[in-house]
Amino acid sequence: MRRSSKKSSSSSAAAATAGPTRGVSKEIERIDQLFCTYADSSSSVIDPEGIEMLCSHLEVPHTDVRILMLAWKMGCEKQGYFTLDEWRTGLKALRADSISKLKKAFPELVQEVTRPSNFQDFYPYAFRYCLTEDKKKCIEIPVACELLNLVLGLQFHPQVDKLINYLKYQNEYKVINMDQWMGFLRFCNEINFPSLDNYDSDLAWPLILDNFVEWLREK
Amino acid sequence: MSGGGPPRKRNFKIEEFKNRVELNPKYAERTWKVLEHAIHEIYNHNASGLSFEELYRSAYNMVLHKYGEKLYGGLESTMTRRLKEISRSIEVAQGGLFLEELNTKWMDHNKALQMIRDILMYMDRTYVPSSSRTPVHELGLNLWRDHIIHSPMIHSRLLDTLLDLIHKERMGEVINRGLMRSITKMLMDLGPAVYQDDFEKPFLEVSASFYSGESQEFIQCCDCGNYLKKSERRLNEEMDRVSHYLDAGSEAKITSVVEKEMIANHMHRLVHMENSGLVNMLIDDKYDDLARMYNLFRRVTDGLLTIRNLMTSYLRETGKQLVTDPEKLKDPVEFVQRLLNEKDKHDKIINVAFGNDKTFQNALNSSFEYFINLNNRSPEFISLYVDDKLRKGLKGATEEDVEVILDKVMMLFRYLQEKDVFEKYYKQHLAKRLLSGKTVSDDAERSMIVKLKTECGYQFTSKLEGMFTDMKTSQDTMQDFYAKKSEELGDGPTLDVHILTTGSWPTQPCPPCNLPPEILTICDKFRSYYLGTHSGRRLTWQTNMGTADIKATFGKGQKHELNVSTYQMCVLMLFNSTDGLTYKDIEQYTKIPASDLKRCLQSLACVKGKNVLRKEPMSKDISEDDTFYFNDKFTSKLVKVKIGTVVAQKESEPEKQETRQRVEEDRKPQIEAAIVRIMKSRRVLDHNSIVAEVTKQLQARFLPNPVVIKKRIESLIEREFLERDKTDRKLYTYLA
Repeated sequence: MRRSSKKSSSSSAAAATAGPTRGVSKEIERIDQLFCTYADSSSSVIDPEGIEMLCSHLEVPHTDVRILMLAWKMGCEKQGYFTLDEWRTGLKALRADSISKLKKAFPELVQEVTRPSNFQDFYPYAFRYCLTEDKKKCIEIPVACELLNLVLGLQFHPQVDKLINYLKYQNEYKVINMDQWMGFLRFCNEINFPSLDNYDSDLAWPLILDNFVEWLREK
Repeated sequence: MSGGGPPRKRNFKIEEFKNRVELNPKYAERTWKVLEHAIHEIYNHNASGLSFEELYRSAYNMVLHKYGEKLYGGLESTMTRRLKEISRSIEVAQGGLFLEELNTKWMDHNKALQMIRDILMYMDRTYVPSSSRTPVHELGLNLWRDHIIHSPMIHSRLLDTLLDLIHKERMGEVINRGLMRSITKMLMDLGPAVYQDDFEKPFLEVSASFYSGESQEFIQCCDCGNYLKKSERRLNEEMDRVSHYLDAGSEAKITSVVEKEMIANHMHRLVHMENSGLVNMLIDDKYDDLARMYNLFRRVTDGLLTIRNLMTSYLRETGKQLVTDPEKLKDPVEFVQRLLNEKDKHDKIINVAFGNDKTFQNALNSSFEYFINLNNRSPEFISLYVDDKLRKGLKGATEEDVEVILDKVMMLFRYLQEKDVFEKYYKQHLAKRLLSGKTVSDDAERSMIVKLKTECGYQFTSKLEGMFTDMKTSQDTMQDFYAKKSEELGDGPTLDVHILTTGSWPTQPCPPCNLPPEILTICDKFRSYYLGTHSGRRLTWQTNMGTADIKATFGKGQKHELNVSTYQMCVLMLFNSTDGLTYKDIEQYTKIPASDLKRCLQSLACVKGKNVLRKEPMSKDISEDDTFYFNDKFTSKLVKVKIGTVVAQKESEPEKQETRQRVEEDRKPQIEAAIVRIMKSRRVLDHNSIVAEVTKQLQARFLPNPVVIKKRIESLIEREFLERDKTDRKLYTYLA
C-alpha cells in the first residue's frame, strides 16, 4: 500500500472533475494521469482512438477479449468509451496505476472473470455492451457470432464453432436477443457435446437452439 | 301290500302282550331275515304281498333293541348283492338296448329305494344320524353309482354310448332324446361330481375336437358369410341340445367350446377373408351377415375389438384415398357429397347391423376425423358445399329437408380441426351470397348460423350475424333515402347500396376506380345523405364487389338487359362515347387494377354467348396491346343476359396461400392471448404444461403447432410479459 504523498496533481483534466483533494493517494494520481494520456482533451473520456492506443501499449489487440473483461471490471456503459470514473474503478480494483502493472494484472483478471460466479455476470454484460443504441434489445447475427467466439470460444470451442456456422447458415432469425444469448451459455454448460443426448426439446429452450440441435442431428 | 284290516269288534278285555319283547339275538336274526326277504321281494316287483306296518315295526324293534348296526349293515350288503346282479344284466344288454336296460333298472331301483326308505324310516331318523352313517336314500344312490355306473364293464360303455349318440345327432340323425334326458338326469341325481366327471368333462373334450375339425373343414371351403351361418347354426343346436337333454349348467360350458373352436380360433382369418370378409361386407352393405358376425363375435374375447380395428383401418384407408385423390378433389361439392354418403352408409350399417354400438360409432367418428383433416382444403370445401346448397341446392326443399342436410354438414364440421379456416371461408362465401342476393332461403341461412353458434359459441358467429344485420339495415336506409330524396333524383339510375360494417365483412382493400359520371352523381348524393344522418362515419365504395343492370341496344336494334359487375359497367359505359378503345385507354379511364381489368375484359369479350365486346386480335387471353370494340353483332336468345356473376369458387393456388397466411396471422394473437390467460392464473408453469393447456383452450377452433406456441412464448418474453424462471430453467413466470 502506497503512502499518501503531498504531490498535487497537475493535469487539468483531473482538476476539472470533483475528485478528492486531500489524501489523494499517489495511486489515484497516477491512475488519473494515465487516464489523461489516452483521454480526448475536449470530451474528457477515452474514445475509440484512445482505446486503440491503450491497446497497442498494452500489446493486446483491441478486439481481444481481455479488453472486454477490462471494460466489465470498469463497469463501462458505452462501447468504445471509458469515462474517468469507470477508469478509476477498474484500475483501482486491479491495483494497477501504470501500463506495466495493468499488463501484469491481465492474467489474474482473466482468471477472475472465468470463475463461474463472475462469468454469469460477465456474459450478459458482454451482450449489453454490444447494444449500440439505447432502445435496441438485439444484436445482429454477425456481431453475435463475433461476440460468441470472443467470449465463449476458448472454453467451448467445438460448440461455439458449430453454433456460429448454424447462425450464419439459418435465415429465420436476423438478430439475437438477450434471452437467446443466455440460452447459448446454458446450452454450452449443460448439454453434452457432441452427443447432445441430454437435450430435450420439450423443455424451455429457446426455439433457435431447438432448430440448431435439429440441424446438428440431421448432419 | 295291505295295512292291517279294520279292528274286529270283541269284548273289551285287556289281554296280556301276546308278543314278548325279547333281547334274544336270535330274535334279531329272525327279524332281519324278514326284512331281507322283503327287500328282495321289492326288487322283484313283488311288493304287493308285503305288510308295510309289519316291516316298519320289525325295523323299529331292531333299532330299538340296539340292533341298528346289524340292520344297516344288512341293508348295505343286501343292496350291494342285488345291484351286482343288476349290473350283470345291464352288461349283457346288446347295442341300443344297453341304455334302455340301464334306464329301466334305474327306475326300478329308485322305486325300490323309496319303499325301503319308508320301511326303514325309524332307523334313518335315529340310528343313522347318531352313528353318522349315510342316510338310506343317499346310500342307495351311492351304491348304484359304485356298483353300476362305476363298474368297469359299464362305466366306459355308458360314456361311449352317450357320446356316440350325441355325435350321431350332430351328424344329422335323430336320436331318443327322452332316454338321453333320463340318463343325464340320473347322473345329476347321483351327484354333480358324477355328472361332471363321468359325462360332462369328456363330453366337452370330444365336442372341442369335433368342432375344431369341423371348423377347419368349413373354413377351407366356405366364404365368410356362410361360415358364420354354419357357426350360428351349430351354436343354436348345442343350446337346443342342452335344453332338451343335458343339465342346464352345461349350456355356458358347451357354448364357450363352440365359440372358441369355431369363432375365436378363426377370427382373424374370417374378417380378413378375401372377397367375403368384413371389408367386402361393409362395401356391399350386407346387413344380415354383418349382424350375424357382430352377434357371434361379441361372445368371444376381443371379437368386437377385431371387427372394430379392421373397420377403423379400412375407413381410414378409404378416407385417405378419397381426400388425396386429385380427381375426386376437382369438384368440391361432389367431394363433400361423397363424404356425406360414406358417413350415411356406415351410420346405417352401425345402426342396423351393429345395434348402434357406441364403440363402433366412436371408431367411425375418429376415422372420419383422421382423414378429413389430412387434406387441409377440407374446411374450404365444406364451406363451398354449404354455399352450393344455400345458393341453389336446397331450392324447393321443405324445412325438414333443410334441417337434415344442414345437420349432416355440421357433423362433418365437427370433425374439422381447423375450424377457424372454415370460418374464414364461410364468411367469404356468405358475403358473396348476400351481396349478390343469391340465397335460396333466409331461414336456411339463419338456421346454419344457429347451428354454428350452438357448436362453437357466440364469438364464432357474431360477425356473421352482423352481416345479416347490415343487409337489413341497408334495406331500411335505401327506403328512407328514396322516400326523402325522390324529387331530387328524378330520372337518374337507380341505386341500391349495401352498407357493410368493416370488421364484420371479409373486405379487401379496394383502390377506387373511376365511375361513370351518371353513377358518380347519385353516389355522391347518397354519400351526403348518409353522412348527414350518420356523422363521424367514413364510407368507402367497394367497387370490386358491386353489380349493375344495364340496358343495351345492339346493331339491329335488339335490346338486352345486361347484368354485370361494377367494373364491367365502368368499362361498358366508356363505349357510349366511342366504338373502339385500346386496353391502355380503358385502363387509364377506369383506373381498374390490372388483374381485375383483365378478368373483367375476358368475361366481356372472350366468352361465347356473352361477348358484348369484340377483341382484336381474337386470342383467348387479354394482352396489353389488344383493342376492344362494341360488338353490335351480339345476339342472345335471352333478354336478360348475365355476365360475370360473382360466384364463390374454389380458390386458385395463390389465393389459397394468401388465405392460409391470413389464417396463420390471425392465430398468433389468439395463441398469445391463451398463453397470457393461462400464465396469469397459474403464475408459474413449465413448458410442456403451457403447450398442453394452450392446445386444450384452442382446440375448438384449431390445433396449434407446438413450434408456433414456443415462438409466441419467446415473443412474449421479449416484450416482457413472461420471463424464464431464474432457478428452474424449465419454468416460465408471469410478469404482472
